[in-house]
Amino acid sequence: MFILLGLLALAVGAGFIGALSGLGGGVFIVPALLIFAHVPMQVAVGASMISVVATSAGASVAFVRDGWTNLRVAMVLECATVTGAVTGAYLAGIVPSWVLELLFALMMLQSAYFTVTKVGDSSVPHGDALAERLKLGGRIPAETGGDEIPYGVVNVPGGAVLMVVAGLMSGLLGIGSGALKVMAMDYVMHIPLKVSSATSNFMIGVTAGAGALVFLSRGDIATVIAAPVALGVTAGALAGSRVLPHVNVQALRTMFVGILLLIAVEMGWRALSGF
Amino acid sequence: MNSVTADEERILRVWTPIILRTILVAAIAILLVGLVSIAWQNPGYYVARFHSLQKVGHPQNRETIATLVAASLRGEPRQIMTLGLMVLTLVPLARVAFCFLLFVRERDGTYVAFTAYVLIGLVVGVVLGRVG
Repeated sequence: MFILLGLLALAVGAGFIGALSGLGGGVFIVPALLIFAHVPMQVAVGASMISVVATSAGASVAFVRDGWTNLRVAMVLECATVTGAVTGAYLAGIVPSWVLELLFALMMLQSAYFTVTKVGDSSVPHGDALAERLKLGGRIPAETGGDEIPYGVVNVPGGAVLMVVAGLMSGLLGIGSGALKVMAMDYVMHIPLKVSSATSNFMIGVTAGAGALVFLSRGDIATVIAAPVALGVTAGALAGSRVLPHVNVQALRTMFVGILLLIAVEMGWRALSGF
Repeated sequence: MNSVTADEERILRVWTPIILRTILVAAIAILLVGLVSIAWQNPGYYVARFHSLQKVGHPQNRETIATLVAASLRGEPRQIMTLGLMVLTLVPLARVAFCFLLFVRERDGTYVAFTAYVLIGLVVGVVLGRVG
């Protein structure tokens, strides 16, 4: 009973911080399970992947309703993320734990970099030829009210390559790779930041779902851990999203970066000592 | 707003949330039933299973859907939870399936192909898991 309640508490905490930081629960639940619950990497990855599916499913209703999600961009890029996720989840059963831990440390550094540099928009009014042919452009409401502002999409192949990497990391490490997805859409494809965030959230569920299907059908999900973790992370994420409008996220940013760096050091250390 | 048609709007805003929410609530309910019954009926099994996972790592829970459903109906908590997790993964699958139907209705061949690729990718995932 104590173990079950402990797992639930860990998961609620991870989901809560994940929602506040905008990085998702997976980034925090994997290290929490390794450090506090002393479970092996593969078990933590499987449980986290399920929790990413659950959180994304819980959040998707709100995100799709908000009108920012660009369904066409999501569908084109999901071809890349699903390819990466299925490959990653397949490899996760073969790759040694120390490689996974090292990759996790690298992803934490990328998330920390993203959290520090997340600044303005670099949107463009017209897309390139391929994006126009795929009808990827859209319109966003003007901040000052008035007419909607059109935006274009560029460099779809470049974005897709990064999305394969994001999917691969998602399948290998059980995380949503939201920070990498938003970076690919914002920096490489010049999609407005709010559209990138909403579209990334829409895609995360499908990416993690693809990985989770590989894990589930292989029998590699530790149900007794994954079930309470999925429920706890989702509950924590819901609570986090309720609290989010009332806190000064900018002030918490330094703390998030600190936590990410600590996780990167811990995971890097585990990788090196397991090597 | 993005340049979506009235059909896309209706499916995105009305039907998708209702169906996704129903599947999600069903999955959470099944998971809760499994968790409560394992904590209630057999907490010793839960602890033993947890400790063995800490040592062994790979859970090796490979079961067919038929065995899972049969065991769940008998009230086996672990299989009930596995079933709940499977229902949960139906949420993203259903979402892609919705988009597929949407693009078929719009006769948008390019996007039918993109969405079909994603659906096939998800099926390939299941097959790879079975053989891997």
